[in-house]
Amino acid sequence: MGYRLVEIELSKPLAPIELAPQHDGVGLIARWQDRLIGFEMIALPASSVLSAERLKAVADERFADRILVAKVDVELSARRRFAAETALPNLSIAICTKDRAKRLSRLLSSLDPIRWKSAFQSVEIVVVDNASVDATTREAVECFKDVRYVFEPKAGLDFARNAALRAATGDLVAYLDDDVVVDRNWLAGLAKACRYNPGAGGFTGLVLPFRLDTEAQIFFEQNGGFGRGFVRKEFHNTRFDNPLHPVGSGSLGAGCNMAFDRALLVELGGFDEALDTGSPLPGGGDLDIFYRVLRSRRPMIYEPEYAVYHEHRETIEQLRRQYWTWGLGMMAFLVKSRRTDEELSARHRAMVRWWFFDRLKAVARAARRFRGRDFRFGIAELWGGIYGLAGEYDRSRARVQTIREQNQ
Amino acid sequence: MGRNLWSRGRVRSLACPRADDPGAEPVNGDAFRVRHIDLETTDIDGDAGDTASLSIFWWKDLPLGMRASLPDELPYSRAHLRQFAAEFSAAQLAARSTSLGAPLRATYWGCPKSALSLAAALDARDLIDSLDQLATASSASAQDISVVICTRDRGPALARCLSSIAKQRSAPGEVVVVDNSRDGNARSVCMQFPEVRYIHETRPGLSVARTAGVRASRHGIIAFTDDDVEVHAGWTAEIARVFAERDVEALTGLVLPARLDTLAQRRFQFDMGGFGTTFVPLVFDQRFFEETRPNGAHVWKIGAGANMAFRRSAFDRVGLFDERLGAGAAGCSEDSELWYRLLATGGACLYEPRAVVFHHHRSDWPGLRRQMRAYMKGHVAALVVQYDNFGDRGNIIRIWIKLPAYFLRTFLRTLFDGPPGRIGILAAEVEGWLAGLQFLLRFGWRKRRALPRQNLVEERAR
Repeated sequence: MGYRLVEIELSKPLAPIELAPQHDGVGLIARWQDRLIGFEMIALPASSVLSAERLKAVADERFADRILVAKVDVELSARRRFAAETALPNLSIAICTKDRAKRLSRLLSSLDPIRWKSAFQSVEIVVVDNASVDATTREAVECFKDVRYVFEPKAGLDFARNAALRAATGDLVAYLDDDVVVDRNWLAGLAKACRYNPGAGGFTGLVLPFRLDTEAQIFFEQNGGFGRGFVRKEFHNTRFDNPLHPVGSGSLGAGCNMAFDRALLVELGGFDEALDTGSPLPGGGDLDIFYRVLRSRRPMIYEPEYAVYHEHRETIEQLRRQYWTWGLGMMAFLVKSRRTDEELSARHRAMVRWWFFDRLKAVARAARRFRGRDFRFGIAELWGGIYGLAGEYDRSRARVQTIREQNQ
Repeated sequence: MGRNLWSRGRVRSLACPRADDPGAEPVNGDAFRVRHIDLETTDIDGDAGDTASLSIFWWKDLPLGMRASLPDELPYSRAHLRQFAAEFSAAQLAARSTSLGAPLRATYWGCPKSALSLAAALDARDLIDSLDQLATASSASAQDISVVICTRDRGPALARCLSSIAKQRSAPGEVVVVDNSRDGNARSVCMQFPEVRYIHETRPGLSVARTAGVRASRHGIIAFTDDDVEVHAGWTAEIARVFAERDVEALTGLVLPARLDTLAQRRFQFDMGGFGTTFVPLVFDQRFFEETRPNGAHVWKIGAGANMAFRRSAFDRVGLFDERLGAGAAGCSEDSELWYRLLATGGACLYEPRAVVFHHHRSDWPGLRRQMRAYMKGHVAALVVQYDNFGDRGNIIRIWIKLPAYFLRTFLRTLFDGPPGRIGILAAEVEGWLAGLQFLLRFGWRKRRALPRQNLVEERAR
């Protein structure tokens, strides 16, 4: 069981792809002249061969249109240069990690070859060790040149993110989770997004799977994953085609790959530490910060070339728990923003209503089609939502207060 | 989540819509503009102001696409404009360059399906130059076109329509106004336009009027538009180009909203789909007909009567408009029923968005409700007529299964995240459906056919 991840370059002749016995599918990452163009999952019999013809048919159907768009884009930029090319800011890359030295090294190694030749004025890397129990994280960091190490004793992802915000010196802070690896064009993608969107409050990027070896990982990616597609998107405080926007800020991207104007984050008071507190409430912090940036009337940009590969949850049990925490985090975020942002409280209420309606529909659909797993995940998410609505944010605030006091 | 602009806070005025009062102040206080952006010349959104807008994007004279945005989303950033330019242009190129797979056929849903292949995409060169070429305005002579405008008691609107026709880049061979009012009140308007031929048809009904227009017209191509429309300066020239270049019997074009000042206009444009949102040419052919036939062929997706044209030979082949349908009779759908006959007898219709008109949607709420009721009633009547003519059970399935399912779905969706006012429109649609059902029962009505039966039988046997 497992999908083979293959990268293909469409501007070169396509070669057939052979599958090993442990593979029953292919995850195609398609590029055109090194630009990410598309991602496609194809189920196949084990040990079979994906012929060049079949590959071409998939490319005709899925990737050809995007190539044409990319070509027009290239011609347009050759024809009219952007008049005032904004100078790129100083960049801080913030990596928050806890007891995952191996993954951290993997991420740092993927950053190493690109950080020295970027267009940014300067690039610093700050690793925030979030109360790891031993010294392996520090040792992992010491293996790399020019990486700053910061220890944050208060356990909780948003404590770590705020610590990174205090430690960072760049004008732009790009956050990465420790379970990702960056694409080779990651920095170039961020630089492009930055240059073309002066005034943006933040950026999110594409998230592709790092591997698709287990059932849970394949299931997760097939059900949407973290990716938000291969088209650039722009988000503002309101949106014509979605009256609930920006309350449904999950559509902007994921917290494992996001960047913000540092001054704006400081002005907004950083991340809400009561969200993303690890074990009891591990979510909602990214939704909350996206939402607050949009509410501050600064746009957010989704840039597909600013891409990372995320290692999804390995087991079904972990994945089920993740669905549960999504429900929990979503509702904790909604309860919180309804209190702090009265102007939109009708929208928050409508979002709660819509969310439960939508999840119930998904559960009903799964039941009707006898999809046991979808059904269980749906129930987990619904249950998380109910639990989250029933005072999880307040409980979390109390816990966070205890953590703060313990670390004084 | 549906196309839906009106967040809950801003529809208070809906509770007390103004009475029938065209040209009145906007029904709700929010301004909403229709604006035009030429992506060929500009990369700065200079004219955004701070009002919500429907932006229509052009490349010179070629309409590329449109996008509605709230004030927060405006002005569009340069990056955003460039993204629009790249995406819209690529879609145009893929739909218009034969080397990239054109012409595109309509899918089941009436939208284009790309026929682009990887090899073609990789080979494509000088795309912007080709786009420039495609966007060159037509200079074809429109001398062979008769423009037919049917009107009824709408003097000022007709005057606007006629002055837009007077400004055509290629003057049409003739302009025929068919006045369907009882007292001939359009005559005085037509006097101001010396080139217009005036015909008074006293028998009421849009189909009757259009038929009279066809009979009175002298040229080989007959283009129709309505009295609540203003046409683009290149309209006749683009129609002439299509008929000169392609062997088609029927053509429809793009209908854009002229104004979106009132809530009723916006509701029609954004929730009821307006008059189509596709900006690339599409062929509605046999395959489309056969695919959609089991559910009642989706001929209403081909276009709108406000912007359509036919070769005279098409009328010779399948007959004229069915006088039982259309405004003034069953309600509407006399246009789509004619397309149905064309497709059912082996023809095809081309949708070419380069032929542009601007439609003034109903500005008042009761008017919109009446319109939606008439649309549904006429739609059901047309399904009955089509069933009688060709015996396709799909038409009956659509009346009894598909439409009720649509009502139920819309009702449920509206309960959760529907735009306010949608329920009212839905009620009008259900009323129209009920009113349409009577046509199923009235055999006398059904027997009165526009065409001699044997004529159709012959066509089908071919």
